[in-house]
Amino acid sequence: MSMTTPIPIGTQVITERLGETMEEMYVNMGPQHPSTHGVLRLMLKLDGEVITDCIPYIGYLHRCHEKIGENRNYVQIIPYTDRLDYLASMAMNFGYVLSVERLMNQEVPPRAEYMRVILAELQRIASHLLWLGTFGLDLGNFTIFIYCFREREMVLDLFEAVSGQRLNYAFYRIGGMAMDFPDGWIEQCREFLTWFKPRIPEYDALVTDNILFQKRIRGIGVMDGPTAVNYGLSGPMLRASGINWDLRRNDPYSVYDRFEFNVPVFDTCDVWGRFLVRRQEMIESVKIIEQALEGLPSGDIQAKVPKTIKPAAGQAYVRTESPRGELGFYLVSDGTPKPYRYKVRSPAFCNLSALTEMMRGCLVADAVAILGSVDIVLGEIDR
Amino acid sequence: MTPEQFLEQLRTQFGAALTEAEAKGSVLLLTTTADQGYAVCKALHDLGFEYLNCLSGVDWTTHLEVVYDLSSLHHAAKVHLRVKVDRADPLVRSVSDLWKAANWHERECYDMFGVRFDGHPDHRRILLSEDWVGFPLRKDYTDERLVPYTDYGLEEKQAKTEAGKGAPKPTSAAPKPPAPPKPPAPTG
Repeated sequence: MSMTTPIPIGTQVITERLGETMEEMYVNMGPQHPSTHGVLRLMLKLDGEVITDCIPYIGYLHRCHEKIGENRNYVQIIPYTDRLDYLASMAMNFGYVLSVERLMNQEVPPRAEYMRVILAELQRIASHLLWLGTFGLDLGNFTIFIYCFREREMVLDLFEAVSGQRLNYAFYRIGGMAMDFPDGWIEQCREFLTWFKPRIPEYDALVTDNILFQKRIRGIGVMDGPTAVNYGLSGPMLRASGINWDLRRNDPYSVYDRFEFNVPVFDTCDVWGRFLVRRQEMIESVKIIEQALEGLPSGDIQAKVPKTIKPAAGQAYVRTESPRGELGFYLVSDGTPKPYRYKVRSPAFCNLSALTEMMRGCLVADAVAILGSVDIVLGEIDR
Repeated sequence: MTPEQFLEQLRTQFGAALTEAEAKGSVLLLTTTADQGYAVCKALHDLGFEYLNCLSGVDWTTHLEVVYDLSSLHHAAKVHLRVKVDRADPLVRSVSDLWKAANWHERECYDMFGVRFDGHPDHRRILLSEDWVGFPLRKDYTDERLVPYTDYGLEEKQAKTEAGKGAPKPTSAAPKPPAPPKPPAPTG
């Protein structure tokens, strides 16, 4: 191709050439792309069909979450945390209230602790279901999307029965929960679990055992264990790289130390491994919910907390295991009713930072699968 | 190694450069100066703190702080390292060669606080656009679109109820006190 050839629309032929016939070009993906699950923009540098570099551009959804947090009091922030990861609002609430409680050394009644665990694990199932559905959709498997949304809808119905909301619950309170479970909710939840357990083999028949699906995602997006740790990956991304690390077991918070569950670890280090980890985690979450429903104590759901929450001057970094990985809240208090500094360590932000490493050397056709395996939610990346 | 043993080793290595060093439970609380920040980070990295949880900035109006939260996958000890940085000319050495996770965190810290990281491989803004003026999370940052904090009269109400506890209750015949002035509605 000579230099006088017109440049194709949407690509930019760069002037430095590698050899005589090879040329590299940039392809822009997003911010309005169905597979970027929000507003993420990727600049892919291609050498033929091979990705040689990938530059993510984030911030399109930035809404000054931390600055807003510094201008609100501790209770007013709870609804804002819902909007961080809008697919796992319960987990975001959980992490935030835990960090405020750590800051003010607040005890929580046991019933509230169990409720928190039950709702957080249901949320993990809902979040992983949505991930599995959209991941299937990205790879052209439309059926699994419909299947997963059917089950996710049931979880959302449970949440709606509890809190009146389907996505942004703002249900956790500092020192407890907003309300108790409504009458008949526990039976409804048990019914869902009984219904949900046989669905996993159904998904297996559809995707896990599907040789086309396997061939599509095996061996791509490779990230070995030490590099994953160095990049600060967490959650299913880390466990798919053969690192046996789950904050619910390794640094237990709330009442997670009272439950028996396995931490799924796969050492395939690729997209396939991440898929298997999330699939297995749904089964483990069911186990935790069953135990928590069994042992659910009676009693108060809200501890006595001061009307104006003014933690003593100090700071706390509290990490929890959200469906996407380590969710950290760093709070600095100066003794006033609003936090002096409020920082969110978002799991998807750190996971996404390793995207370039995973993309390099892969085919452009696999870019969507690799990006899908990170399970990004731009709400928490851009904050 | 226990947190105390880590602390002992760090004290012998750095001495007075660690302006604060104590162990609170499993967390090591360390404070150091900007020129020693990288050396302390490197020592901690070599001691086995291979996981960078979080890197954030804090504006104390007199100075800035870069805060590193480190942990390990092999022992329970955690590190909370605070590096004091000059506010007028904030410059620290980048730790992104020790932990690649620091790359985006440091970009965010630069974006929000204006702390420059020497040796960073890709020193750009990350969340805000390239042409943004100012560093929003600094305490003196102003923007007319920011909604000021209001507690909607909560503190005033509490002060009143606490003051009124000892006093006798007004009878129904007594005229009602005038309603407290409402705080101005937030704009924007």
